[in-house]
Amino acid sequence: MRLITHNMLSCNIKGVTNGFPLRIEAGNVIEKEVDFNPDFIRHMFAKLEWKALVEGARSMGYAELPEDSPDAAVLESDESFLKKLHHALLELHLEEGALVCPKTGRKFPVNKGIPNMLLHEDEV
Amino acid sequence: MILDVLRSIRTSSSSSTTTTTGGRIILQSFGFYSVSTSKMRDIKVKSDSRELITSSDEEEEAAAQIIESVSIREKEISSSSLSVKSTPEIEKKYVHRVYDAIAPHFSSTRFAKWPKVAAFLESLPCGSVILDAGCGNGKYLGLNPSCFFIGCDISHPLIKICSDKGQEVLVADAVNLPYREDFGDAAISIAVLHHLSTESRRKKAIEELVRVVKPGGFVLITVWAAEQEDTSLLTKWTPLSAKYVEEWVGPGSPMNSPRVRNNPFFSLESIPETEVSTKEQKADNSPFIGLESIPESEESTRELKETKASIVEQKEESLEALKKSQQEYFVPWHLPYHRAEVSGASASALATGLAKKDDRKGAVVYNRYYHVFSEGELERLASRVGNAMIVDRFYDKSNWCIVLQKAALNQD
Repeated sequence: MRLITHNMLSCNIKGVTNGFPLRIEAGNVIEKEVDFNPDFIRHMFAKLEWKALVEGARSMGYAELPEDSPDAAVLESDESFLKKLHHALLELHLEEGALVCPKTGRKFPVNKGIPNMLLHEDEV
Repeated sequence: MILDVLRSIRTSSSSSTTTTTGGRIILQSFGFYSVSTSKMRDIKVKSDSRELITSSDEEEEAAAQIIESVSIREKEISSSSLSVKSTPEIEKKYVHRVYDAIAPHFSSTRFAKWPKVAAFLESLPCGSVILDAGCGNGKYLGLNPSCFFIGCDISHPLIKICSDKGQEVLVADAVNLPYREDFGDAAISIAVLHHLSTESRRKKAIEELVRVVKPGGFVLITVWAAEQEDTSLLTKWTPLSAKYVEEWVGPGSPMNSPRVRNNPFFSLESIPETEVSTKEQKADNSPFIGLESIPESEESTRELKETKASIVEQKEESLEALKKSQQEYFVPWHLPYHRAEVSGASASALATGLAKKDDRKGAVVYNRYYHVFSEGELERLASRVGNAMIVDRFYDKSNWCIVLQKAALNQD
């Protein structure tokens, strides 16, 4: 699971109104290089919940992102920032661990990089 | 937390070329992976003996009373089982378990990229995030290399196949996507909704697709049509009728009681099963064809509060389903013996009667549940979804297809 996906995932247990973001319990994190595409990274920026990304990256062992969401000028011209964002979004993989619902504490397991977000009968 | 960060070498990548330099793999294309998970959920016929359906339609009333008066199946009933997001039994048995058992074989037959789907994906702007709900073996994930795909499927074995190809995937339910709203640039649902056994679940799945894309985002949905091009395949499908209620709802089910079986309301015209032809394997992948035109299903016009609506809707849907049996089918999948042994799930499937052996063909035969869509049905369903408009509709290779666009934000 990459952080780009984590930034979208939300706990959908019945009765949970805001199950985002899921807290990451990282057991095994690996890195895989991906070609850098600055336009894509800029496009993604608008979708992101910045704090969730920073916290998620920290959970996965990457603390290089600025705490505060950068402004448009940075996005436009600061390539080193874009590369950090690229690294966080696309190159870090949670292979083993769990995603924890912020409201209920329910853990969604991640095995071999695959999160299992299925709910039990009584959670639907 | 103990983090173990190490460099890993990916051995294969479906959508990019790779070179190794000093032990690292560098993907030379904008290699994006798709995540797909979809789970098909069974729909179980439910009844609540405390609910009373009043209807001026005598026939419907008689049937409703029969459904009402039956006892509720133990174990399966809980307050949550009435939720539209609960997986009905028929989907558990005849969709989920089947795909789990046949996943590798199924995947090996799913390689042809459907031109209309490819065209839709290729029309999307570079850098789009595309969500594939019910992605199966990930056939479309990464099809447009300039986009980032996230796929989900309810079948873990299918998701594993996607993941092994390096795609970004997760296991999830298309009727209840674990996604926050407005994230995707586009979404696709290719041959998924016909595995959902109630109208409310099919509608919910459409609502989910619309919910998870951005305002102005597009959604492509394709489903098997009742109006099939190759009518010879029709002979291989089993229409669901009272005969199959026992398998559908389970042994000891109230729906299987003599009162139900003997009620003329439930006796449906059954299409005689014919000998399976030699074109079996091809037929497995193709919908049944040659149905005479199926009357449009009447939609319930009741507007009730949430839980009540769900109960009433499910009862009415089960009535409708029985009436319109020609849209409810078991479509066989022939899993060759040598494949069945690899899968392992077939032994228990055979033992529990979920699958049968066909020695003549050397295959384990599974049945997949389908609700095939009649002309206009998908449109009518989609038009009931609030914040989206139908922008395209077409019939292609025995499938009904629509493209929706989510309403843009109001600009003041």
